[in-house]
Amino acid sequence: MIPRYQKIVVLVLLVVSIGMAAVLVRLRERAHDRLLKGEDLAPTTAPAVAPAVQATLIVANDLDGTMITENQSLPLPADGEARARALVEKLLELYAEPGSTHPVPGVPRAVLQVFLLPQPQDKADLSPRGQLAVVNLAGDFADGHPSGILTEALTIESICSTLRANLPQVAEVRFLVDGQSRATLAGHADLTRTYLTEEDLPISAATGSNSTP
Amino acid sequence: MPDCPPRRWRVRQQMAWRFSRNARLFLLAAAALLSVNCDRAGFAQANGASSGTGSGQKFVVVLDAAHGGDDGGGQVGAANGGTAVAERTVTLALSVRLRSLLTARGITVVTTREGNVSIAPDTRAQIANRGTANSGGGAACFSLHVSEAGSGVHIFVSSLAPSGTARFLPWKTAQSAYVARSLKLAGTVNSALEHTSIAGGGNSSGEAGSSSGPIPATLGRATLPGVDSMTCPAVAIEMAPIRGADRKAITDVTDPDYQTQLVEALAAAILEWKTDLETESPKAGGSQP
Repeated sequence: MIPRYQKIVVLVLLVVSIGMAAVLVRLRERAHDRLLKGEDLAPTTAPAVAPAVQATLIVANDLDGTMITENQSLPLPADGEARARALVEKLLELYAEPGSTHPVPGVPRAVLQVFLLPQPQDKADLSPRGQLAVVNLAGDFADGHPSGILTEALTIESICSTLRANLPQVAEVRFLVDGQSRATLAGHADLTRTYLTEEDLPISAATGSNSTP
Repeated sequence: MPDCPPRRWRVRQQMAWRFSRNARLFLLAAAALLSVNCDRAGFAQANGASSGTGSGQKFVVVLDAAHGGDDGGGQVGAANGGTAVAERTVTLALSVRLRSLLTARGITVVTTREGNVSIAPDTRAQIANRGTANSGGGAACFSLHVSEAGSGVHIFVSSLAPSGTARFLPWKTAQSAYVARSLKLAGTVNSALEHTSIAGGGNSSGEAGSSSGPIPATLGRATLPGVDSMTCPAVAIEMAPIRGADRKAITDVTDPDYQTQLVEALAAAILEWKTDLETESPKAGGSQP
């Protein structure tokens, strides 16, 4: 038999617990409201919209292995590395669109970074140096790229040509995938070498159907 | 103190030791020669090479079926809604068919693989270079690929800049000494493809229809690991579906007629290449490069 005073103590404790829980919930709601109010009042700056500039995209065409020059007005950042990344991203977005002349599945962030570095040079050589662009592609993009000599070579070449067309100081391009060196893009195109943007474009140098090189 | 052997006995012992050392050296050299010869014989047998003419001036064709083993390559054959197959399977089928055609014509063929095995690009180049090392009668190397991208047959030559010949060539750019001849070989293959006739062919510039014509070909330059290390006139052949102007596939790569036409065109190109070499230098037998 439980004594009466013990029943009363348990009941009082239960009522106090419920009351404290209610107060805590209310205090939490007030704190949340205060936080939201504070965020609303925080001073914010409008995002800087880069001015649209004329950009040249060198777009590949799988059907005949040629390159098509497309001029587009794009909002590009002033910083060279950010600009290079935006250009390559835009080029790969074109390839992911339906009806593309060079279909390559798109991924949310195909280009992780583009670094622009001064070209390696001898100390005695005083001629002006160009830049080496290191394009760090996402692993998902490389893994999903169609396999084939033509399609892989066209992707590499269009990236190199687009960089050269918009950033003339870029003389060499190297490719990384997820920050690591990779043997080939999707089984064919060599990613271990440095591509020269000044050299004759291999694919566009190709002639049309059934004609001698 | 131990007894010393007499002087005469010591001289005999030294002579015997010298003789045994010379004999050992001789045996080592003989063993090395034997192993090299056995290695060569085993290599040729393993790759299904047919016997040469016996004159030492044989024309050799190297067929490299791309991918294999763990490396399946791309998935092909689904352009018309068919079942996709691995690129390695189609390249091997093309290699086997082309080897049969060439062997029947008395041409020595070396293949990099005869089954579903994984081979590194450097090993492929090693096999090609060994196979063509003594080909005083000339050589031609073909790397066979299949892709879903593009249209028709893509003929690729190494994008290395042509260079002069040298006794020793850098491994990664050995093909540079052969680029000029590789371009010529690509032209010969292109000419042979002009004489083919297949549904959907010959309409690369026009309407998508079922008209017949030559297999459309695209010539290009590319950097290809393996091919860049080959010391022979080398081209990479990439077979793709034949597409109309609307980019829809008319003839897929798994089409038996398409495969037959391509293999026969390649065989015809190789025969023409061999004839050209014999015509150019009948006495030298088409020296390389």
